[in-house]
Amino acid sequence: MQTTPGTNLGKKLLCIEDEHFIGELYTRALTNAGYDVTVEPDGQRGLALALTDEYDIILLDLMVPSLTGIEVLNKLRDPATAPHLHAKIIITTNLEQREEVRASIEQQADGYLVKAEITPRELVEFLSNLAA
Amino acid sequence: MEYLRRFATQVRTRLFVLLIIDNLVFLLDWWLVEHVFHLTGVELVAALVIVPALALTFIPWLSTRYLTQPTKLISEAILHLSPGSAEPVPAPNPASAHFGKELVASLIHDVYELATVADRYKSQSEHTDHLNAGYIASSLPVPLLILDSKQIVTFVNDCAASYLGKSAADLIGKDLYSVLDMLFTSDETLDKWLQDVRAHKATATNSWERVRLNPTDEHTLLLFDMAAYYNRDNPSGIETMLVLFDHTKAYSQDDQAVSFIALTVHELRTPLTLLRGYIEAFEEELGGKLDPQMKDFMFKMSATAQQLMAFVNNILNVARVDGDQLVLQLHEQHWDQVVRSAANGLALRAKVRGITLEYSIARDLPTVGADRVSIIEVINNLVDNAIKYSGKSSHIRITTKLNAEGLVETTVQDFGVGIPASAIPNLFTKFYRDHHNRAQIGGTGLGLYLCKAIVSAHGGNIWVTSKEGEGSTFGFTLIPYAQLTAEQKNGNTDIVRGAHGWIKNHSLYRR
Repeated sequence: MQTTPGTNLGKKLLCIEDEHFIGELYTRALTNAGYDVTVEPDGQRGLALALTDEYDIILLDLMVPSLTGIEVLNKLRDPATAPHLHAKIIITTNLEQREEVRASIEQQADGYLVKAEITPRELVEFLSNLAA
Repeated sequence: MEYLRRFATQVRTRLFVLLIIDNLVFLLDWWLVEHVFHLTGVELVAALVIVPALALTFIPWLSTRYLTQPTKLISEAILHLSPGSAEPVPAPNPASAHFGKELVASLIHDVYELATVADRYKSQSEHTDHLNAGYIASSLPVPLLILDSKQIVTFVNDCAASYLGKSAADLIGKDLYSVLDMLFTSDETLDKWLQDVRAHKATATNSWERVRLNPTDEHTLLLFDMAAYYNRDNPSGIETMLVLFDHTKAYSQDDQAVSFIALTVHELRTPLTLLRGYIEAFEEELGGKLDPQMKDFMFKMSATAQQLMAFVNNILNVARVDGDQLVLQLHEQHWDQVVRSAANGLALRAKVRGITLEYSIARDLPTVGADRVSIIEVINNLVDNAIKYSGKSSHIRITTKLNAEGLVETTVQDFGVGIPASAIPNLFTKFYRDHHNRAQIGGTGLGLYLCKAIVSAHGGNIWVTSKEGEGSTFGFTLIPYAQLTAEQKNGNTDIVRGAHGWIKNHSLYRR
């Protein structure tokens, strides 16, 4: 199941995640898979980084300080604030969502992952399939 | 009866005495003509004809008057009570009866008794006539809705209007489903019941528990029990009456209990997620460097963490099922991919126990309508059980095919200890575990209960066949996606279902 780093080499990934250990685990797995990973625990700063449009993939936790993941998502999908954003946005959460909330988030994002349901290796697989 | 018998005897003796007197009069007449008076010609004829004729008229007249007197008293009692009689008849005195006093007194008493009962009924009905039915309906202190045969609301009472946060004018004339978008806890919805009673019954009643109305601009979330009365061809057009009994507070407290479990599960999941992540990192970093025993320990650690996660997920889902909160979104799924992805996660757990998973997946299966996360839990639970009950056998077979009814059928077969026939009917019950195996094999008895709820919510069936000592086969069916969408014509790509969770009243599967 190991993905070759080559296919992802140089892809820039922003992980907006305040859970330090999750950030650490994801960084390790994704770096091994060839991604250039930046972890940002704060919502507001994460949004600022995302808006630079330097990233190909954004992993967005819904529970982050200063600005919630949903607020960040709305800003990134708002043509006024982010007209040309090319990054794929993947929601990562462990929160139990009401179905209608989840559905509306899923519509705006390119993927929705429950962290408890996947291991870092499975995250890497998911991202490879997304690119393919 | 005793009075009546005595009365009859009295009548008989009196009649007998009167006849004797009558005969004595004749004999006396004859004797007087013969021996005292010496009559001739016309006098003789007069004495032998006129005197008996007078006696024959007078004695029956007297006896009739005398014998019918008790009947007269009873008749007087009836006439006395009759409202229709032209002139008032005084109340009779039973003591004045010449004979049969007891019978007369008892019958007169009965007459008066009956009259009192009749009076009571009469006054009651006069009293209720004053209560206007419409007034009762509109002031009934529980919500009441009346529908015609086209399910158009024809009446709502004040309580219903305020309960639903709308004015009566906004509700009357509307289709029921546009004003009450009800969700039911099972497939036995109001709509289904109405279809059934329209076909088979003239009148019927039914009730439902935990009906749910999602919040709208006009009202918050409402949870209630509902009772319905149906009357076909009712002359006033009232076909169905619905009465709602609000239980929002009590039922949402149950929901909060689920929230507590959801919170607990969330708190458990976060460290478990990390634990699994770090174990995976260890495996990757150290995999090549560990001796076989250490590698085995690593496997076991990983499998155990997975098992714990599966258990935690089961708890949450059972809480949702019980609280009618498990809502599934059926998306189009390539079933072979789902099965393989589930099995990948299980291979490790099987391997730790020295068991291989074998697959037989039919080619060209149609896509199915399934909630991926939930249905994977079904496979996980069935395979987990198969692993637990495999005994000394070393393989488990997972088979997927299209069955004779055109449904996608998946079976998980083990060759282990099997299940005694007596235990099979209870297998899908919560907390049920086979007594024979309870001591040796761990588990909570939640898994199969959950599987059944999830599979049912998908519209499928789940079953088991087993033989002790030879193993068990658990199977379930799923409906092909094309069939689901064909039955659902509104073109919505998501099909939302509850696991005996909330079912829309106007069922997607009906139209």
